[in-house]
Amino acid sequence: MPGKRILLVDDDDVFVEAVRAVLETRYEVDTAPNGTEALRLAQENPPDLVILDVMMDHLSEGFDVARRLRRDERTKDVPIIMLTGVDQVYNVRMEVEEDWVPCEKYLEKPIAPEELLEHVGEVIG
Amino acid sequence: MTRGEERFSYIFAPELYERLRWFVRLRWWAAVGLLVTSIFGPALGLPGAWPALGLLGGFVCAYNVFFRVALARREQHPGGLRGLRSCALRQMVMDLVALLVTAHFTGGMLSPVLPFFTIHMALGTIMIATETMHVLATVTALGLLGVYVGESSGWIAFHGIHPDVTECGRACDLHLLAITVAMFGIIYLTDSVTSRFKRRNIELHHAKREMEEQAARLQQALEDIRRVEERKSHYMQISAHQLRSPLGTIKTTLRVLLDGYVDPSSEKGRKFLEGAVERVDELLAIVGDLLELAKVREGLEKAPWARNVNLNQLLADIFDSLEPAADAKNLRLVPDFRGVAVLEYGVPPDLVYAFENLVENAIKYSEQGGEVVVELRVVDGRARVRVMDRGIGIPEEMLDDIFLEFVRAPNAKRHTREGTGLGLSIVKEVIEAHGGRVWAERREGGGTVFVVELPLRGDPRPRSRDRNAGVTREEPAS
Repeated sequence: MPGKRILLVDDDDVFVEAVRAVLETRYEVDTAPNGTEALRLAQENPPDLVILDVMMDHLSEGFDVARRLRRDERTKDVPIIMLTGVDQVYNVRMEVEEDWVPCEKYLEKPIAPEELLEHVGEVIG
Repeated sequence: MTRGEERFSYIFAPELYERLRWFVRLRWWAAVGLLVTSIFGPALGLPGAWPALGLLGGFVCAYNVFFRVALARREQHPGGLRGLRSCALRQMVMDLVALLVTAHFTGGMLSPVLPFFTIHMALGTIMIATETMHVLATVTALGLLGVYVGESSGWIAFHGIHPDVTECGRACDLHLLAITVAMFGIIYLTDSVTSRFKRRNIELHHAKREMEEQAARLQQALEDIRRVEERKSHYMQISAHQLRSPLGTIKTTLRVLLDGYVDPSSEKGRKFLEGAVERVDELLAIVGDLLELAKVREGLEKAPWARNVNLNQLLADIFDSLEPAADAKNLRLVPDFRGVAVLEYGVPPDLVYAFENLVENAIKYSEQGGEVVVELRVVDGRARVRVMDRGIGIPEEMLDDIFLEFVRAPNAKRHTREGTGLGLSIVKEVIEAHGGRVWAERREGGGTVFVVELPLRGDPRPRSRDRNAGVTREEPAS
């Protein structure tokens, strides 16, 4: 699907570059290293999908960004995939937050490239 | 009972209360006995029993109702031992009077009820102070004497089996003597038995209380262990998570190369591999710091403790070793030492690690061209070191948290990706192991101040350690 744009948000630059290389085979990719930058880019020019890392500057920055995207008129319909390296340490927190963080998918890091493309395909066709 | 037992009122009062109730229950049977004796007594050769004993039985019932009600009123608040004892004394006096009257109407010194006086002395000794019982026994004996003298002299009527009390004179004298001796004897015997029981009772109560305290202490110790375990397990999970994050990135990067999304031999592929190596270095740094932290936490007993550690020298050496790093950022390292600080005991390599870490941080988070000041003062037997920078600063709400494992302030993360979040945890462990404190402050005009306070005197080494083993004369650490 050429022309569809994805905004990839993660504070690990090496990870971002690797995922970008995968996604770029099918989509246009913008990246942001933190939540503030992600919100700015998304509101300026709403993408077709946002892929968000949960833990950036603080524990649940990804969740905060997701909620703010949904609250904003310009970005409320943009689908979101949450990516997380979180394991059982934050499970309790996650279970609570999953209820009200409106995301289309919840994926765990690390993720195989093929699998990621499949999930992205399911969300934005 | 003796007066000393007042102290153990909490043990004896409830017990005495129960006894008094039992005493009241027994008295109903005594009253029934009086009525029965009143009816059948004349036929058995006790002509004075009817109707006197029947009336007396009614009187006993009447005062027993009174005592029953008084006890019921005390049920909610049994009160002190003293109150219960005077209640017991009142009952005992009433009973002895009733018994004396009974004795008179059933034959005086030849009455078959005389043995009941000894039973009453035994009952009384269980409940009332022994000294009081001696007085009661004496008064009772005098009462009996009065009845005897009265009857034999004809002042009061004689209701005996024999028509004339004087006929059995000597036997009656002996009866009076025997009953008096028996009363005192039974008081002595009962007292010696019950006082032993009471001592046991006190000991038992103490043992029980001690056991309860022990149990509480054990419970507390268990709680403590559980908390430490919880903390350990939480720490393990956080550590695992911190290791997992770079591992995830490494795996994703390698997968992307292996699956052919990027050609490993291309310029881009090379950059990917370098990125992976960067994350491997990050992992190694975390593992190194984790080991260091474990060493400081658990290895203090085996640490190379030294005597007379010169802090001025130690800091000067750190300045030398960090000069290149400061130069690279065009920063000036400014020592501001006043006084000489020599620690009685210290672990030089750990102290070097701690202060190096603080000065390194100051350099890392400073902008180009500023200065980092390290101030040393000796105040009240304590060395106070302040490491001051004009760097990015620490948000107010993070000042305490940054000493926790893996915690880094958001602005620090944005500033420099590298950093395990363990350095300050190690610093805190080291300083506290030396009996000192470390904290962070916001610096007026921007930047951060880390303050370290260390006591110069005293031996902070773990107790279990053999104090003389392994201590060398300290040479300044390099």
